[in-house]
Amino acid sequence: MSTPNTERDLLVFSIWAVLGFAGLAFLLEGFTRDSYFVCLLGTALIVAAFVAHIIVNFLFQQGFRPGETVLGIGAFGVLTFTFIAGVLSGSMSMVDYYSGLTLFSILIVGFIAYLSTRHGLRGAFSRFHVKTAVSEDSGR
Amino acid sequence: MINAGNLVWLPLYALFYVAVMLFWTRVAARENGNHETYFSAGHSLSPWISALTLAAASLSGWFLLGGSAEIAARGFAQPGVLQAGIVLALPGVLFFKRMWFVGQRLRLSSQAELFRSYFDSKFLVVVSVVVAVVFAVGFAGLQLRALSELIGMLSGGMVSPLVASLFLGVVLFAYVGIGGMRAVGYFGVIQSVLAFTAIVGLAGFALMSSGGFAALNAGLQTLAQSPDGAGLFQVAGVIRFSAGLGRDAVMGHAETALTSLSVAMAFMGFQASPLAAKIVLSTRNANGFAAGQTWVMAGIVGGIIAFGMAIIGTAGLINPQLSLGGMLAQLQAASPWFMAWLFLGAVAGVQLLAGLGLLTAGEGLVRHIYKPYFHSSLSRVATVNLTRIVIALLALVSVLMQSLTPVALSALGALALPLAFQLWTPLLGITWLRWITPAAATVGVGFGIAGVLLTETMGYEVLSFLGLELPWGRWPWTIHSAAWGMAANIAAVLIISAITNRNAFGAEAQEARRFVQSTLRMGPRARVLGAAAWSVALAWIFLAVGPGLVFSNFAFGTVDASGGAWSVGMPSIWAWALLFWALGVGLIWFLSYKMEMASPYLMDIPAYEPPRTLHHDQTRVEGERLRKLVVTGALAFILVVLVAFSFGS
Repeated sequence: MSTPNTERDLLVFSIWAVLGFAGLAFLLEGFTRDSYFVCLLGTALIVAAFVAHIIVNFLFQQGFRPGETVLGIGAFGVLTFTFIAGVLSGSMSMVDYYSGLTLFSILIVGFIAYLSTRHGLRGAFSRFHVKTAVSEDSGR
Repeated sequence: MINAGNLVWLPLYALFYVAVMLFWTRVAARENGNHETYFSAGHSLSPWISALTLAAASLSGWFLLGGSAEIAARGFAQPGVLQAGIVLALPGVLFFKRMWFVGQRLRLSSQAELFRSYFDSKFLVVVSVVVAVVFAVGFAGLQLRALSELIGMLSGGMVSPLVASLFLGVVLFAYVGIGGMRAVGYFGVIQSVLAFTAIVGLAGFALMSSGGFAALNAGLQTLAQSPDGAGLFQVAGVIRFSAGLGRDAVMGHAETALTSLSVAMAFMGFQASPLAAKIVLSTRNANGFAAGQTWVMAGIVGGIIAFGMAIIGTAGLINPQLSLGGMLAQLQAASPWFMAWLFLGAVAGVQLLAGLGLLTAGEGLVRHIYKPYFHSSLSRVATVNLTRIVIALLALVSVLMQSLTPVALSALGALALPLAFQLWTPLLGITWLRWITPAAATVGVGFGIAGVLLTETMGYEVLSFLGLELPWGRWPWTIHSAAWGMAANIAAVLIISAITNRNAFGAEAQEARRFVQSTLRMGPRARVLGAAAWSVALAWIFLAVGPGLVFSNFAFGTVDASGGAWSVGMPSIWAWALLFWALGVGLIWFLSYKMEMASPYLMDIPAYEPPRTLHHDQTRVEGERLRKLVVTGALAFILVVLVAFSFGS
């Protein structure tokens, strides 16, 4: 039987196959043509993919899966590394530079906004706060 | 010369495609329990999954590869093609809901089983399986061949078409062979959205390259002023009494209104094919058929065809550099990431159709022919494993034919839709027309097949090989073979139904008739609207794909040797097609919901319990049957060779 989980995953794959890849293609196109507008379009498509992903999560009463989180953070890390390497090598144009900064800013602001709306400001911090185990009989 | 860096993107995206395919194949195989629900996903596919896969399989690559090429070569002379979304939805509205109810009541999972249970006809079972094989090997093979050649071109000759088709064949076998129907459904969702996106994306690129919609139409205006240019924007009358392609030259062009109508009939064949039935009968409930046919098939697919495919074809018509192949080559040079993504969409659409075809054909050959007649003691596991082997063999045959016998493949592929259209009469018998008797359905389909074969390239080439020259060629009187076959089919069904016993149905058929009659009775409002529904549907068919198409030549402006005087900024014939596409969506909505022909209907359907019968050991009889089959096959082969040697050219 196709479970709600399977259907949710299918929708997520479909969203990223269309919007994610379109966003990537527009970003690359923008870098090649040195066009900030085209890069912005790519960024908007990637944000749209995230929004659609979150809507699907809401409809199926689920959050991001651990695998998705790892993939997202990994991709973000690779992008950051590439961006920094580009800046250091001095081969980036100003359009590339601002396009990259726009993408990172939107992703970071979006990420914080998502956590804040989903878990609340305090709860969002707790997602990263490592709780140390305190035993019941520690006397304190 | 293509930059080496640009060549990386297609393999990179292909790698991603294969990774996603393997992921969903694994999910499907785990949910299947390897063989338990291999053939029909345990009848548990969600209605939205079925709606999407049905729509994309119908769209397949034909409309992108063949449809756009047709417009690029011959303009809008066959406007019925632009209504494909609506004509594909019509049979879905007519059949799917009732077919699903009968299938669910009798616990059936394929069209061949439906025919066996209802008509108790071995002939119809064999025809259903043969149609599935023709779709899997011929129709899909033809599209895979076109893709393989494009891969060869896009790789700058580094990958030969043979290697490309082998790769596509292996990918197909991997997910269909391992994951079965569930993998076709799950991966089909992703293939569907990729295929839709590809056509929309390529249409967008075609528009940008042409300078926008206004510039595109200005280009058409220029084309209309060229010698014989007007013919690209007109239907050549209602009918031409020619002997057919390959036998008789027609003055002007040969696309008449009846060509459009009969081609539309051929499209309708897909929804009556065993491939569509496979998806319908694997669906969890009947709640998605109305939405699937109205919004996905008629709305989205119809819009993609009427706008997207038309724009791609038109760009190629104005500037051959912008034909599909040329456009992909340009994208490869300038934006290879876009090209890889969009091309993969085209591959995905064709693979969805091919995968569904291979599964249906493999199941048909093993479960509906080999097992019941030659090896009834075959276990469930062995049946699934044998089906996997057959699927691999069919994929291999398709790959070899793509490379070695492209002409035969083309002739075979051309038979798929018109042959499938002949299955309308038995399906109408099961779902609506209770007076069609088993004998009439069987003989009707036989006559229909003869009609198709005698008016298609395959039929007259075979007869010519055997020394018999037909006086007509392909599509005589500018009418597609689907319509010739249906004319013979209907004539036989009417005559034989009139002279045979209308109550001569088996227990399962009686039960199916009683069940459909009692549960799917039309409500009072739908009954009142019946006459209106008939009128609206017939009027739409007459004007959108039928003889009324001649009005489209001048409804929104005229076109003659001095060019086009188009009152809506685009060729009258295209504007007419867009208008009737929009009206067609309304028609499908009306039939689906208001006439309750596909409307949601939720109920638990208990399985029908057939009377218990004693089973005898059939091993000896089946062995004898197999021996007779082999001997008959060998004798037929010898006979054909002797006849060809004696009389053939």
